[in-house]
Amino acid sequence: MKSLDEGGGVPRPLVAVVDDDESVRESLPDLLREFGFRSKVFSSAEEFLASGTASQMKCLVSDVVMLGMTGFDLQQELKVRGHKIPVIFITARKDETVRRRALEQGAVGFLLKPFSDTALLGALNIALGLD
Amino acid sequence: MPVEPESPTAEIRHLRRCINDLVSVLALPATWTGGTASQIVGASLDALVSMLSLDFIYARLREPGGTEFSDMVRVGSNWESKPGPEELREKLQPWLENDPEKVPAVVRNFLGKPALTLIPFQLGLHAEIGVIVAGSQRADFPQQTERLVLNIAVNQAAIGLQESSLLSAQRRVASELDRRVAQRTAELAAVNEELKKEIAERKSVEERLRKEETELKGSEAHKAAILNSSLDCIVAMDHEGRITEFNPAAERTFGYGRENVVGKHLADVIVPPSLREKHRAGFARHLATGKSQVLGRRVEMTALCADGREIPVEIAITRILRDGPPSFTGFLRDISERKRNEGALLETHAKLARSEERWRSVFENSAIGVALTDLNGQFIAANPVYQKMLGYTDEELEQLSFLDITVDEDRDLSSVHTAELLEGKRRQFQIEKRYRRKNGSTVWVRNSVSVVSGTEQLPGFLMALSEDVTERRIAEEALNETRSELAHMARVTTLSTLTASIAHEVNQPLSGIVTNASTCLRMLDANPPNVDGARETARRTIRDGNRASEVITRLRALFNKKDLTLEVFDLNEAAKEVVALSVSELQRNRVILQADLAAELPSVLGDRIQIQQVILNLIRNGSDAMSIVNDRARDLLIKTECDEGGAVRLSVKDSGVGIDSEIEKKLFEAFHTTKNDGMGIGLSVSRSIVERHQGRLWAIRNEGPGATFLFSIPCSTNT
Repeated sequence: MKSLDEGGGVPRPLVAVVDDDESVRESLPDLLREFGFRSKVFSSAEEFLASGTASQMKCLVSDVVMLGMTGFDLQQELKVRGHKIPVIFITARKDETVRRRALEQGAVGFLLKPFSDTALLGALNIALGLD
Repeated sequence: MPVEPESPTAEIRHLRRCINDLVSVLALPATWTGGTASQIVGASLDALVSMLSLDFIYARLREPGGTEFSDMVRVGSNWESKPGPEELREKLQPWLENDPEKVPAVVRNFLGKPALTLIPFQLGLHAEIGVIVAGSQRADFPQQTERLVLNIAVNQAAIGLQESSLLSAQRRVASELDRRVAQRTAELAAVNEELKKEIAERKSVEERLRKEETELKGSEAHKAAILNSSLDCIVAMDHEGRITEFNPAAERTFGYGRENVVGKHLADVIVPPSLREKHRAGFARHLATGKSQVLGRRVEMTALCADGREIPVEIAITRILRDGPPSFTGFLRDISERKRNEGALLETHAKLARSEERWRSVFENSAIGVALTDLNGQFIAANPVYQKMLGYTDEELEQLSFLDITVDEDRDLSSVHTAELLEGKRRQFQIEKRYRRKNGSTVWVRNSVSVVSGTEQLPGFLMALSEDVTERRIAEEALNETRSELAHMARVTTLSTLTASIAHEVNQPLSGIVTNASTCLRMLDANPPNVDGARETARRTIRDGNRASEVITRLRALFNKKDLTLEVFDLNEAAKEVVALSVSELQRNRVILQADLAAELPSVLGDRIQIQQVILNLIRNGSDAMSIVNDRARDLLIKTECDEGGAVRLSVKDSGVGIDSEIEKKLFEAFHTTKNDGMGIGLSVSRSIVERHQGRLWAIRNEGPGATFLFSIPCSTNT
């Protein structure tokens, strides 16, 4: 893995991945690296919040339905805590109302699993204003 | 007339003749022995008239009795015309009438004779017997000898007559005596007979009396025995109210010995003090007026015992009528026991009446209909609710049986259940059925019917508790509709939820697969390619692919969970839903679907979802069987019908490749599939689902191309 420091440029953005699904936690970081991002994975919203790394995150990719705190709750909590982190929701649930709510709450992206890599990349670029 | 004297020879001759005549006359009585008066007289006259050659001789005899006369005449031969007795009588009458003594000696012109000498002779000392008059016209008549002969003859005759009359008198007397004796004897005999009869009567009376006496004695003994053995008290009292008899039962009841109370006033012995005055007054009134309130009836009173107790008694007093003053007999019975029993009986009776009243009011006021029928179903009784429910009065119902008022369609079931009841196969049953009201309208009822066995007194009967459930049924039907709609909604929801959860379950590994595969490609596109990374991501991909497969397997297992969720549903509706789900897929496959669903299909009891899976399976199989058919229409026919035997049948007929004899055997085997992408649950699972519904699933070759797959499951019975 190439380090960003070796290229002598801006450090690659840090993305938080919050999902209780292990396959997501396993597969997303590699894809994100291919996109040129760094990532940290968390198995629950609480874990992420407890980690204290929120301020470092440039973007949050989160599942909606999780045990304990949901993705929406997490989004709210971050706002409350004053972290202005763009959120991309990934979910297996195809529910229009959820999607609408997510967008109302200011989500940058709402992707249905299984999502294509390009769709994710598109959402990330929007989130980081790289478009 | 002076006559010349006779010569001595003539005299002798004369005398001799006289003596002969006398001898003859004296011999006369011998001739008339036992003769009658007329015989005597007649013989005498005959003899005299010839002996003396008289012209006539007339006799007049006094009849016995003294007032009548009879006469007799003998006439000599010297007459020109012989006079009859009447003539002579007539001639002599005047003299005889007055005094026979005054008969003249000579009579002139006597019946043609110039001169006739008459001589009267008295018969009897004072002519009491009679008179004889002899007459001759001879001048010398009567000579002495003639007179003598006549005298003697007359005397003889008189004696004879006397004798005869004596004899006849004797005879008369004798016969009279005889008669009298006979009479007397007869009388005596009669009297004797009478006496005999009387004696016999008396004897029999005596006998009877003796018998009566014996009987009396016997009955007296009997009566005494009755009195003594009677359990009832018998107390007799005379006209003064004193006790004359006090039988052993009375002794026991009242506690007195007979000898202690006989002679005492009844009032003082067994009438309680409080009632004595009333008793005395009543008794006195009766003796005075003959009226009584207690005679000849049974009355209840209180009596006093020796120990001071007062006991309730039943008394019947009768009066004995005899010559002389009356006496009275009282029959008393201690009814304390009876009073107690009466009380208990009344109480029991009251309880029974209350209980009866209660049960009657239950029957009458029951909130649901109650009807009783005999064992043939003919109504015996029906309470008001039942009557109102049916619109018949109970009299009208008594003319009907319960089958008469059951609608035709429900009669068979009713009869079957009732028969089972009567045969003892069940104790009771419930049935929901329809009655036809008197006005023709229908009412749904829920009946609970039981049989009540007969006893000796009461024959058995059927009892039905009948509840009008018309409203409930209507509500239920509405509810059922709603429920099935809801169920449908739920089903749809569940299905979608299920689908959603399936999707969710499968999407987890799928997501991983896509991500890893995308990463793999990018890694390989990098310069230089990240082979290690690619390998890792590829590995993950395969792993996730397997995981997805497992999920599906798991889900299929979940689908095939053994326990059925039972509900009553309509197979047609279930089939329509499945068809709706499959329509787009079928259209994509250019399958022409037709449905021939039976109009009135009975409901089935089962797991609706699982049956729908079976239907889906059959439809998909049918469609698949036609996937390579291009030369003819891809016809798929779904049909539902009623089986004989009370089952419903669904068949899916295709016009596909048909069943190959090779695969026919393996058709229903588990995991057998001809498809590469078998997503259905398979025929083996379908069959096991159907079999779990007590049905069967089978396949047949069509007459034309293709095959038909069918399953049948029993329909639910309406309770």
